[in-house]
Amino acid sequence: MSRLLHPFSFLLLTLGLSGLGQAQEQRQTTHEFSLDNGLKVIVREDHRAPVVVSQLWYKVGSSQEPPGKTGMTHALEHMMFKGSENIAPGQASKILSSLGAQENAFTSRDYTAYYQVLSRDQLAVALELEAERMHLLSLPEDEVMREMQVIKEERRLRVDDNPNSLAYERFMTQAYMASPYAQPVIGWMHDLDRLTVDNLRDWYELHYHPGNATLVIVGDVKLDEIRGLVERYFGPIPAGPVPEQKAPLELPDGGERSLVLELDVQLPSLIMGFNVPSLNTAEAPWEAHALRLLEAVLDGGYSARLASRLERDQSIATSASASYSAFSRGDSLFMLSGVPNESREISLEQLEQALWEQIEELKANPPSVEELNRVQSQLIASLVYEQDQISQQANRIGQLESIGLPWTLLDKDVETLEAITPEQVSDVARRYLTRERLTRAHVLPTAKDKETR
Amino acid sequence: MATAHSRSTLRWLLALLVVAAIIGIMVFKPFAKTPSAEAETAPAGLVATTHAAVDTDAVAQGSADDEPLPDLESLSSLDTDKPPARRKLDLQHWTTEQGSRVYFMQADELPMLDVQVLFAGGSSRDGDQPGLATLTNAMLNEGAGDKDAGDIAAGFERLGAQFSNSSHRDMALTGLRSLTAPDKLDPALALFAEVVSSPSFPQDAFERLRNQLLASLRYRLQRPAALASEAFWAELYPEHPYGSLPEGTPESLQQITPEQLRAFHQQFYSSGNAVIAMVGAVDRQQAERIAQRLADAMPEGPAADKTPVPDPVEPEHTHIAFDAQQTHILVGQRGISRHDPDYAALYVGNEILGGSGFGSRLMEEIREKRGLSYSVSSSLIPMQAPGPFMISMQTRADQVDQALEVINNSLDEFIEKGPSEADLQRAKRQIMGQFPLSTASNGAIVGQLGAIGFYDLPLNHMQLFMDRIQALSTEQIREAFARHLDPAGRLVVTVGPVIAEPETDQDDTETAPDTLEEATP
Repeated sequence: MSRLLHPFSFLLLTLGLSGLGQAQEQRQTTHEFSLDNGLKVIVREDHRAPVVVSQLWYKVGSSQEPPGKTGMTHALEHMMFKGSENIAPGQASKILSSLGAQENAFTSRDYTAYYQVLSRDQLAVALELEAERMHLLSLPEDEVMREMQVIKEERRLRVDDNPNSLAYERFMTQAYMASPYAQPVIGWMHDLDRLTVDNLRDWYELHYHPGNATLVIVGDVKLDEIRGLVERYFGPIPAGPVPEQKAPLELPDGGERSLVLELDVQLPSLIMGFNVPSLNTAEAPWEAHALRLLEAVLDGGYSARLASRLERDQSIATSASASYSAFSRGDSLFMLSGVPNESREISLEQLEQALWEQIEELKANPPSVEELNRVQSQLIASLVYEQDQISQQANRIGQLESIGLPWTLLDKDVETLEAITPEQVSDVARRYLTRERLTRAHVLPTAKDKETR
Repeated sequence: MATAHSRSTLRWLLALLVVAAIIGIMVFKPFAKTPSAEAETAPAGLVATTHAAVDTDAVAQGSADDEPLPDLESLSSLDTDKPPARRKLDLQHWTTEQGSRVYFMQADELPMLDVQVLFAGGSSRDGDQPGLATLTNAMLNEGAGDKDAGDIAAGFERLGAQFSNSSHRDMALTGLRSLTAPDKLDPALALFAEVVSSPSFPQDAFERLRNQLLASLRYRLQRPAALASEAFWAELYPEHPYGSLPEGTPESLQQITPEQLRAFHQQFYSSGNAVIAMVGAVDRQQAERIAQRLADAMPEGPAADKTPVPDPVEPEHTHIAFDAQQTHILVGQRGISRHDPDYAALYVGNEILGGSGFGSRLMEEIREKRGLSYSVSSSLIPMQAPGPFMISMQTRADQVDQALEVINNSLDEFIEKGPSEADLQRAKRQIMGQFPLSTASNGAIVGQLGAIGFYDLPLNHMQLFMDRIQALSTEQIREAFARHLDPAGRLVVTVGPVIAEPETDQDDTETAPDTLEEATP
């Protein structure tokens, strides 16, 4: 038998709580230092469990690749597991795994990062292995060539046999006209086909230097002990030249672009992207933060506008979402996308029209204080929740540092967003969500797929 | 620094469909499991390891035994036989008046609480209405009392609380993550209790979710990994509730009514059928009151019956024609239940064989030596009734025969000879080392507690399991594999262009992906 719960019945439960409100305010102890060779080290202490994460971030991403060599950064990331002067191919992974450590790596448009999560007593092993491959990578020809086959299988799996990924890849080539963000991280197949060991070696020599990297360590550690370990293993590495970084910039008024993609998809979908600045490239930082709030007003949860209006009230979209990444080195995109509700025979044009109505409304009328408060509450809470995972904390720190921003922004984020006014949210919508900044893709099932449906 | 987004599983699926943003901007190296295996794994995250990213040091054919260890200073000063330090776990357990089993750990470090409520109400309870459990679970936060979906979502979001729900074959899950400040936690728990216990199943929301589910079924048709997985489960469990797709079929979804969801909820989301797991900054007394309030709110009812044991099936090779560059391969058979005495032996054996990424035999043979696949893994999915054991990979279509041969040979050899002593020692050390990582966060611990409760395991299960693993011999693992993974019960599913399967009818070559032909050579 179901009994309705009295809404106040939980008030009794937590009267015994004390002092926890303060914990929410507390900042975790975070230290920063650099070695003489330029390696920047950030250490955050978290003593809840005897574990630690170590992440080494290099400021090299796919956006720095010259034409003809796309995919080279990601390929080099794979090759970093293929041995160094004193370590046989695959051996570092075997050593780490035999200790129970987790390790992996990832490549983005702006950075490449390697990480290990392990018991705090084992941290020295991770650092010694990581330091060696920073300057003594082997790149053996036979291993490299075999791994290129694996990378091509990866491309087939992720992109070529996944029509929505394929659509997204093509969309990006149009949404970025001037910026190298147009290139796929994994690289074009025809470039993977002709990538050589020498290309990889040159790329490694150019970018893998202590001065081009940030080491982030979060966990049950003390600064003194870390300083000693880092100095011991990374200290002897020669400084090397630090390559110049130029933020990928996009045309502010590239003109309205439209593409129609017929692919092996089952459901038609709409992708819209507006050329907008990132936190790095915005004239003033508030613009990027206002764009973040704009995203949240539209899609920051199931009560946000796209879900409540387009999916629920109007039944126009089977799915609709907004996304904006403020945290990139270069100019970014504000994306809107969706799947029209086919049971009501909604077309892609009607879905786009509905999205435009939401945009125009925000241009004309600032979001309500209540909406922004809700976004703010979620943000404040998520900062607490993120502390439950050391890897997540390290990710945030490493990402900011690698795109050229200080990690201390993290601790000010709540205040920063609090300072944004509803009018500023409307302001960035008016300024940036305009036709001449728009790229639109209609992704449609191929004629063959339509027939057999 | 992104704002918190909470979405239901269903919304995520459809959102990912459109913007595969992650794929575009970030490419991981690979310890990822093959999507098909991952997608169907019950979230029984239980036990010593997060499956996410771990490698054994076990090496195929013991070749690493010949490989001298590098001269690492850090390694020589490390005592690898000593178990690494781990977070102190003060786990507690009690039962509410109504019979809800409660599992709790106090963690005061962060001002937050994780609550998970699990019901034996997954899709294995669908009967002849596939999709019933999934829809019931997805409808929880679409209306409760006089609140509609928007009120509920805004209610949680205003408090910074995160509601989650998902439904699998064995279990239906609901979760809440909240700050513990009283002005946040109290209303969040009240709303959570209402959503879990008193959903109203409004007609308009029902139709909307059904349409979304139908769309997601269509979306499956363009994903070869999903097709392979569906076929594998169907072949392995022909007369068993695990055999049908949790998302249902277009036909069954059309027949389901809100009335049926109400009945399903009344029967399976009951206090006697519930496990409540909690980790966070509340003390035992508070935890008891929270659990009691949740149980008080639920419909009364007994625990659900146990899922029946499936019958063995005949070996078979099913090929599904799909126009793509790669072929997806699944090889496997019926494995064991969560309660099988051989679980520890099979768990360790599976880690050595292919459950642990790099260093595992399959990864060595398929990827490292031959470059055949980006991802290859074996997984043992122990469920309430015997779940599957499966090996999954994908490869360029013309390499399928070679890949299948390597998989079958590796598996046959492992069943025949078992792991080497060196394999086993490394696996033991590895699993011991993973343990602190798998209990480091509140989120991980609440998952472990939920699974312990759901499968009715002893409170000290994690330690017992560790001890059992450390006591294993190579012979015990070999015997367990031979006992449970008889090659005569092995199924093969391939999804890809017909070129890879010369035995299959060539007429199928041009078959479009959504008019699937199943052939069984």
